[in-house]
Amino acid sequence: MTDDFKNRVRLRLYEMFLELGRSPSMAEIAGTLQCSVSDVAAAFRELAAAHMLVLQERSGEVLMANPLSAVPTPFVVETGADAGFRSWYGNCIWDALGVIAMLQRDGRVLTSCGCCGESMTVSVRQGEVEAKPPGIVHFALPAKRWWDDIVFN
Amino acid sequence: MLIFRSEEHIEKWCKAWRLPRGATLSVEQAWKLADSWYRDRMSPDWRRRTVEEAHELFRSLGLSSEFWRLA
Repeated sequence: MTDDFKNRVRLRLYEMFLELGRSPSMAEIAGTLQCSVSDVAAAFRELAAAHMLVLQERSGEVLMANPLSAVPTPFVVETGADAGFRSWYGNCIWDALGVIAMLQRDGRVLTSCGCCGESMTVSVRQGEVEAKPPGIVHFALPAKRWWDDIVFN
Repeated sequence: MLIFRSEEHIEKWCKAWRLPRGATLSVEQAWKLADSWYRDRMSPDWRRRTVEEAHELFRSLGLSSEFWRLA
């Protein structure tokens, strides 16, 4: 499998994820790239082995295309208050802010305190960030352990 | 990586999960990290950073302690 094909699959995945507001299936990606589902599955496996994706164990479909999450999380990202509302899920607070960074537009993260569950909103407007109510971000695991259990992390 | 209302809430969470306290960032620092890390993710030329490149990025944001060492 060529790096060029893997890169095309990766880019198509992200483009469709952003467009659809959910993770596209392997079949949907294969349909747009006019290749087989097994080719996409193989590309997914190689991208996952390189820590560029995280796959669902049984189906082989995407679980995480960082910063995006294919399953609902407590980190809802919203953009486009004035140009068409869109939303996605981030994997964690870092990733949720990463969705806004990746899109290079204003947005906000609807989340909650990891301890007490109080609702919190982190907004980014013209590159300036603000949390209401104010908060602190905590990284529980040191960097060398991030991929030991990426779902917990 | 979670967000908390206060240091006290981080301590309660760590105790409940029986985890040592990790590293904390202000919301501004977390945004700068997210922006630096993910800004180019949609670029056709994007590739995963090497460990050294990631360390350099962390260092540029003042994250140079052992906690931020990937290997």
